[in-house]
Amino acid sequence: MISLRMDAGVVRSHLRRWIWLVPLMMLLGGSISTLQAAKVGDLGELNLKRQAIRFLSFKDPAVRHAVLGSALIGISCGLFGCFLVVRKMALTGDVLSHAVLPGVALGFLWNLSKTPPYPILIGATLAGLLGIATVRLLLNTTRLKEDSVLGIVLTVFFTFGVCLLTMIQRLPTGSKSGIDKFLFGQAAAISSADLWMMGVIAVLAVAVVSVLFKELLATSFDAVYARTIGLPTRWVEGAFILLLAMGIVVALQAVGVVLVSAMLITPAAAAYLLTDRLNRMLWLSALFGVMAGVLGAFCSFLGNNLPTGPFMVLAASSVFACAFLFAPKHGVVTRWWRHRSSTVRIRMENTLKSFYHVLEARRFEGDGVSVLELATRRRETLDEIRGRLKELVDHELVTTEDDRGVAFLTPSGWKKACSIVRNHRLWELYLNHAAQVPADHVHDEAEKIEHVLGEDAVRELEKKLSYARVDPHGRLIPDLAQIQKGLPTPSETGRVTGYGR
Amino acid sequence: MSSSDLPLEVHDLTVAYQKKSVLWGIDLEVPRGKLVGILGPNGAGKSSLIKAAMGLIPPTSGWVKVFGLPIQENLKRVGYVPQRESVDWDFPVNVMDVVLMGRYGHLGLFRRPGKKDRDLARECLDRVQMLPYADRQISNLSGGQQQRVFLARALAQDSDLYFMDEPFAGVDAATESAIIELLHEMKNRGKTLLVVHHDLPTARNYFDMLLLLNMRVVAFGNTADVFTYELLQKAYGGRLTILSEVAEAVRQRGL
Amino acid sequence: MNLIPAFDAHKVLVAPWTESLASYGWVVLMGIGVGIACGLIGNYLILRRMALMGDAISHSILPGIAGAFLVSRSRSTWVMFLGALVAGILTSFIIELIHRRSRVKQDAAIGVAFSTLFAVGVIMIAVFADRVDLDQDCVLYGEIGFVSLEPSVEWLGLKWGPASILRMGVVCLGLILAISLFYKELLVSSFDPGLSRVIGIRSDWVHHALTAVLSLVIVSAFEAVGAILVIAMLILPGASASLLTHRLPSRLLISVLHAIASSVLGMHLAVWLDCSIASAMVLSGAFLFVLAWCRFWIVNRSSSGRWESRVEEVSGGQA
Repeated sequence: MISLRMDAGVVRSHLRRWIWLVPLMMLLGGSISTLQAAKVGDLGELNLKRQAIRFLSFKDPAVRHAVLGSALIGISCGLFGCFLVVRKMALTGDVLSHAVLPGVALGFLWNLSKTPPYPILIGATLAGLLGIATVRLLLNTTRLKEDSVLGIVLTVFFTFGVCLLTMIQRLPTGSKSGIDKFLFGQAAAISSADLWMMGVIAVLAVAVVSVLFKELLATSFDAVYARTIGLPTRWVEGAFILLLAMGIVVALQAVGVVLVSAMLITPAAAAYLLTDRLNRMLWLSALFGVMAGVLGAFCSFLGNNLPTGPFMVLAASSVFACAFLFAPKHGVVTRWWRHRSSTVRIRMENTLKSFYHVLEARRFEGDGVSVLELATRRRETLDEIRGRLKELVDHELVTTEDDRGVAFLTPSGWKKACSIVRNHRLWELYLNHAAQVPADHVHDEAEKIEHVLGEDAVRELEKKLSYARVDPHGRLIPDLAQIQKGLPTPSETGRVTGYGR
Repeated sequence: MSSSDLPLEVHDLTVAYQKKSVLWGIDLEVPRGKLVGILGPNGAGKSSLIKAAMGLIPPTSGWVKVFGLPIQENLKRVGYVPQRESVDWDFPVNVMDVVLMGRYGHLGLFRRPGKKDRDLARECLDRVQMLPYADRQISNLSGGQQQRVFLARALAQDSDLYFMDEPFAGVDAATESAIIELLHEMKNRGKTLLVVHHDLPTARNYFDMLLLLNMRVVAFGNTADVFTYELLQKAYGGRLTILSEVAEAVRQRGL
Repeated sequence: MNLIPAFDAHKVLVAPWTESLASYGWVVLMGIGVGIACGLIGNYLILRRMALMGDAISHSILPGIAGAFLVSRSRSTWVMFLGALVAGILTSFIIELIHRRSRVKQDAAIGVAFSTLFAVGVIMIAVFADRVDLDQDCVLYGEIGFVSLEPSVEWLGLKWGPASILRMGVVCLGLILAISLFYKELLVSSFDPGLSRVIGIRSDWVHHALTAVLSLVIVSAFEAVGAILVIAMLILPGASASLLTHRLPSRLLISVLHAIASSVLGMHLAVWLDCSIASAMVLSGAFLFVLAWCRFWIVNRSSSGRWESRVEEVSGGQA
């Protein structure tokens, strides 16, 4: 009597829903086995604690520089990165950050030393701007697509920088230059002069973003329109690129060439998921940038000669992961949770509907509905029906007498069942009349709609259909007014009427 | 009518790119206070005409004047409603932010929108019946609602000449009638509107004047004069459908 | 400045082929092998606008390789290949996850994914430096010179050459074979995914297969040229070829020639400047690209070059 149907489509849809678990398992398994093989504890716990205390006490000037510098970088990268993310220019940031390397090398060659940092900074900024100019030139003069052009400029400029770097390292003064620290960053190497530059750029970033906020907003949102209202879009974009280049260059010391684009993108992407307004996004992004910077500096301090860049990136990515999963409106986990709860609600409503149908089939005589009848109508197993009824009992819409295998609707259950059926049949009528959907097709559409029709929509429908009484299949539509008034429970009158006489 | 009275004057405008002509020798004088529909097949240069008129693409030859001045000097008097696809609707702004952008041209470089600007923006939103949505992020809007937000932004510019690129594309019937009502209201206030349109039957009812474009001006004048089978045939290059041929034949026989 | 050594014609141009052949011969051959493999598959990356994907994978295989070292405690190539493959698949999965299930766009998703994985890899190398046989800086630009120091593989009584060159050769041959066998499928799914679905070619399978093969090619090239230079070797040959011809078979052939030429030129350049050989090869490749670009510009000259593309960008291609 009751048959279980599990067709291939159901299997495939289940598979598709859970397939993402497979790579997750791979990732977990890989990390666990790697960690095990690495035996993290080998790092030497005494050293860790000592370093941690040394960091947190702030007595060491290197530590103070590192923390302050990382925080300042976090602010500038966070602010600039917002615009890269909303303009879908993440790869441009990547190109800029790689293109500066030859400038760093050439700047170093000016004085053959890292201090004062100004030649390096100037050289790096110029190299970055040259890179962007080359990208524009290639795009305008060839038919190469944007991704190829960006890839070419990124790697060729970087390679040129590497070439210079390896040549420098063969010089007598070269190997101690500390210039290779520019590849992955070393916050502990931040000098006072570096700190000054970072401070200046951070202040500039905040100033420009606040003063030019509306120009930046309009240009990023709809550059063409911005031009038509007379905004100086070329100047605004030029100023932005220049500032971005300078921001990248001062961040190089701490984060390194390879990963600085991540410090631009990741905190901003996390902020993007958490808010719907650009100004809030800027605040959040700066905050996340500071958090990532300081945390990264701290972690790299714990070990011996560890690069700072990767730790900052990992810190930023953890923030991103939390935002991605748990963001209040758009987080993956929050959406899954909401979906689950709406699935439960829909399931309960469907059970109530079946209740109504069973009662209607016997013209509302007798009040109880046997579990067997429900199972037959819904074509599910007895166990499944019992599970659904339990859900309804929890919500006080149904009461059961388990020894007799019978269930009854409570007054609120009855009201709800009537509303659901009413929505369904009204919608069927509407589809049939207004949308000319043939009577044999309306049922499926109504099945989907009925759960999401709100009160006002239902009233609108009723008005449009002139308070109709009968649905396309000739069945009566429960009267909303009657339902609202609160009908007597079935057992009191002995005869249930869901509709007017 | 002196030159400075004409909202739009186009002289021998030619636009070409990649060795292909897009517009060729366009001459146009649009009178004030008219609702003009721009019609033509795909690739006819309708959007390019608007963009050239707005100074977004440089002409190969010819010029465009808005109220007697080159457009760059008169941007404040021109409003633009671009196609909806031109924008990333996931951008973190709400409806009010977008409409306020229409005011940015009137503010200077360092000034922020003030109370007056916000009130004006709210008024514009009300005119397009989008005021209840002022705080909503723009990705949560339907196609018709997004179009109305763009219109409100253009209204907030408070210009005298408006260019609109396919404002009726992909909107529901209710929005379409609301938009055309708004356009008529704007026309009655003395604004001049040029609207790129894609649907022939409605074009006859919506617009006072029609511009038939197919790289050159095929015809420009009052709708009744321009909307004829011969001229449409010329503009669409024989691409009119069988249905409209039959409809036209029926009409000519006076049935 | 003593940075740039004097140009000694004999030392730079002749010696590598005569006296120093033992050191440089294998290096050039390795460079050619890497260049051909990367160049061939790079053509498809360019066609399918997947250059970014190549960038992402080249960065993200690092934790895979480092992890493989840690877990297996050996330098076995199969383990490294497996680690790289796992990392490559994981990357593409993470990127899809981020940009399909949230409003983060694809470019930012790629950036977040590969930088995170790369950071993990660098940390692994830095923290477990004694157990992972990779140098922090060399992961970026490789050390192709090591090839000549490897012992030769002996088989059937003959010395066949260093193991890495043989591996690279196998990868090249395999790639050439795959491209010849699946030429039609690759072509159709690259140009017209809709059509390919109608014909019965699953374009997403082709995509996944391409990603897997790309990971293999990158990991084979990794030790020689490192994570970032490999991107240049992927894109430069195909980009130069695309500027010279429209036809795909010609492009594939030109890519091969480009790889050979940049390898040889690069070797000479490195001998002269005493810099990293791999970077010199890339710079030579860039030089050849510039030559192709000049030729393209001369041939396709039109009076209004620059603003025309701007017109296209503003008008969105549709008039």
